[in-house]
Amino acid sequence: MTSTNSGNDLPGPLAGVRVLELTGEHAQFCGKLMADLGADVIKIEPPGGQETRNVGPYLNDKEHPERSLYFWHYNTSKRGVTLDITLPEGQEVFKKLAATATLVLESFPAGYLPSIGLGYEALSENNPGLIMCSVTPFGQDGPWRDYKTTDLLHLAAGGQMASSGYDVEDIPDAPPIAPGGGNAWHIVSHYAYIGIMGALYHRDFTGEGQYIDVSAHEACSLTTEGAIAIYLSTGDVVRRHTGRHASVDMSPGIQHATNDGGFINTTRSGSNLTPARIKILASWMDEHGLAQDLLDEKYQDLKVVEEAGLHFADVLKNFFANMPLVEAYEGGQELNFPWGAVRTMEEIMGDPHLQDREFFVPVEHPELGQEFTYPGGAAIYNASPWRISRRAPLIGEHNQEILGGELGISKTGLEALQKTGAI
Amino acid sequence: MTMQADNLNGKRRKDKPLEGVRVVDFTWVRAGPWAARWLATLGAEVIKVEWPENMDMLRQNRFTVPPGVEPGPNSTGQFADTNAGKLGLSINVRHPKGLDAIKSLISVSDVVIENFSSRIMSRWGLGYEELKNLRPDIVYVSMAGFGQTGRQHYFGTMGPAAQALSGLTHLSGLPGEQPAGWGWSYLDDTGGMYGAMCALTALKHRNNTGQGQHVDLSQMITGITLTGSAFLDKSVNGRESRREGYPPGNRTVWPGAPVLNNYRGPIAAPHNAYRTLGGGYNDWCVIACLSDDEWTTLVGVLGSPDWAKDAKFSALEGRLANQDEMDKGIEEWTSTLAKYSLADVCQAAGVRAMPVQSSEDRVENDPQLRHRGMFTKVNHAMLGDWKFQGAPFRLDGNKVAVKGPPPMIGEHTSSIMGDLLGMSNAELLEGYDEGVFWPETTPKFPYVEQAIEEAKNDVN
Repeated sequence: MTSTNSGNDLPGPLAGVRVLELTGEHAQFCGKLMADLGADVIKIEPPGGQETRNVGPYLNDKEHPERSLYFWHYNTSKRGVTLDITLPEGQEVFKKLAATATLVLESFPAGYLPSIGLGYEALSENNPGLIMCSVTPFGQDGPWRDYKTTDLLHLAAGGQMASSGYDVEDIPDAPPIAPGGGNAWHIVSHYAYIGIMGALYHRDFTGEGQYIDVSAHEACSLTTEGAIAIYLSTGDVVRRHTGRHASVDMSPGIQHATNDGGFINTTRSGSNLTPARIKILASWMDEHGLAQDLLDEKYQDLKVVEEAGLHFADVLKNFFANMPLVEAYEGGQELNFPWGAVRTMEEIMGDPHLQDREFFVPVEHPELGQEFTYPGGAAIYNASPWRISRRAPLIGEHNQEILGGELGISKTGLEALQKTGAI
Repeated sequence: MTMQADNLNGKRRKDKPLEGVRVVDFTWVRAGPWAARWLATLGAEVIKVEWPENMDMLRQNRFTVPPGVEPGPNSTGQFADTNAGKLGLSINVRHPKGLDAIKSLISVSDVVIENFSSRIMSRWGLGYEELKNLRPDIVYVSMAGFGQTGRQHYFGTMGPAAQALSGLTHLSGLPGEQPAGWGWSYLDDTGGMYGAMCALTALKHRNNTGQGQHVDLSQMITGITLTGSAFLDKSVNGRESRREGYPPGNRTVWPGAPVLNNYRGPIAAPHNAYRTLGGGYNDWCVIACLSDDEWTTLVGVLGSPDWAKDAKFSALEGRLANQDEMDKGIEEWTSTLAKYSLADVCQAAGVRAMPVQSSEDRVENDPQLRHRGMFTKVNHAMLGDWKFQGAPFRLDGNKVAVKGPPPMIGEHTSSIMGDLLGMSNAELLEGYDEGVFWPETTPKFPYVEQAIEEAKNDVN
């Protein structure tokens, strides 16, 4: 093993980058990606806390702005201040903070920040290296600019739903299905991150900042793999299939039930099947008396193999119906078949492979006197580790530390700000 | 002198942010090439390393060869978009001379990116440990399914299997049915974005410190990080994933299920897909009301029918409890309107609604993508004027757009070997003769023949 997610004190790759984050569901994930990689991300919330604190699930199902697991998940490693940027006093403080920042990450409606005097031009006047990234549903211009959205709406307009659902044979009249997990916001956050990294690279060599306009709709529209290429190439629109690629043709089923109530996904039954591979697969099936005719010599002809996709799917279906999920999945993988068990969180927690990669990260919540397990990073950086440096901030937790300590606002100054309701 | 040294001496041009960064791209199929595609889009010089005997699967994708275009590895639409803006190098890295040449190339490059099964590159003598001796500050990104470390590092994945294993598939579908999952390799798209993110992040670290590093990305684990708050709901609350009414389809809570959570955002009703006029395969829209006020506005848009004025719908709790009846009433109305007019009518009143858009819709009918210039036509030797997908981020200080067409296989071999690495024409011809730059038994494309002819003429 060359490296791990923890175990040393090296700075993260984004050390030295200071981010002011004014965003809820649209781009808080982008802020988390940066914060866990070492950026100093300061989350600026309105007094009383941001609305994403009112999204469940909650710790032990007790609704409270400090108990939202949704907020916890998306705001690790950030520090938090409260600031009302609609008040002149709050705007003054915000400008002082922006003068110290590398990046302002925001998702207000298009045109809002300039309308209150906090647009890119105003903020970069005394900080030409400042980068500002606006993440909005549709970008800063265009006929849909002011349309309001949600995760579901983006997955509809972006094409995810048109590709996801069920075979008519499985569920007649099934609607297009929006995949779960809040992924419209993940997709746009990834692209925002890529754009920001480009701007940071440029800044490192020129000292220049710049403004970045990111559209969630464009990000989602880019994320349906081959659907656009198929249309552009042939004029055909893909159809939805259960658990597998939307496609123009009627592809064989690939998601099969196992005898313990699980499902295994075999990507495409036909993929990776050559005469030699069939022999390997059939020998394994034969140990269970379930090879049917797959040991037949006729399958040693590639042409016959290629035409027998539907038959193989049937034989596989019967094989899996007689075996438990983990045996099917791991048995296949040991023989080099790239199959996947449809896992739930129950099966993911404690997975030894993930433990080897130190994926399960203990995070302390000192105010609760408890430690909870968070998901780790997707990648291991061997010279600049990913890490969760702290749990999500409490409301206004770092007001004193950042506004008082780092900006140097006096005690009476802070009290005055509190009185006007600016913090 | 390296490219980076040039940059530091202020010779860098500023058209595109990554101008001057050279990437050796060993990736194939979708996730890896999509990663390097974004580095090219940001301005990097991306050299795609291929070998015709073991062709990138997307070059063989018969579903995206347009009618009337001669089929072949340079003719598929999906390869084209996935590899736009790269240069093409064909080289046999298992031949000693090929290995030497690729090492020379890496020694003048900034990034190596690969998505083979774990540890294949090491077997070829091209692992991180070997390459950092050639180029100490190399950024090396590996994108295997399970990563390079961990006991199951050798397990293979493609998008759908990785999605299944990550928990993403189980999040998607109707309750009481098998999971619908994702109708494409989401983790090839997103795994690709992550690959680009890792390379860019490590380049940033190199700017900070002068150090390169190895980034060990796992496609499957990427998926786990995209399950939203589902992970914490299990690890903190101990919530069982296999439960009644879950997953809730397009709704936030299935009727009758406890109102506890929704891993995509706030709990709301209505929050569903509805049929629209025409009744065609993609004649659907979605509507979501995030507050009682938004519901009241929607009732006005519906024309205030009696059923909708019933007090049982006025608060969220009642709407959640009576979703079937409410959704039926809404669908009676949506079925009378075309999906685009429906979205316009709703949005004009402040109601969140959008059409379900197919691929055709996004290319032909989406006024926003048209306004923003999402598709750019670039000339392609086989496909003609071809539409390429643009970037969803606009950088006002840098031009960011599709850099150019994808490479034909091995298209730039002679210029990379000759102009960049200083290989003589005689050496180049020897390489072609010995099967280093093109397999001896594979017919050569005219542009390969031409490059050989040019080298011969120069030698003579």
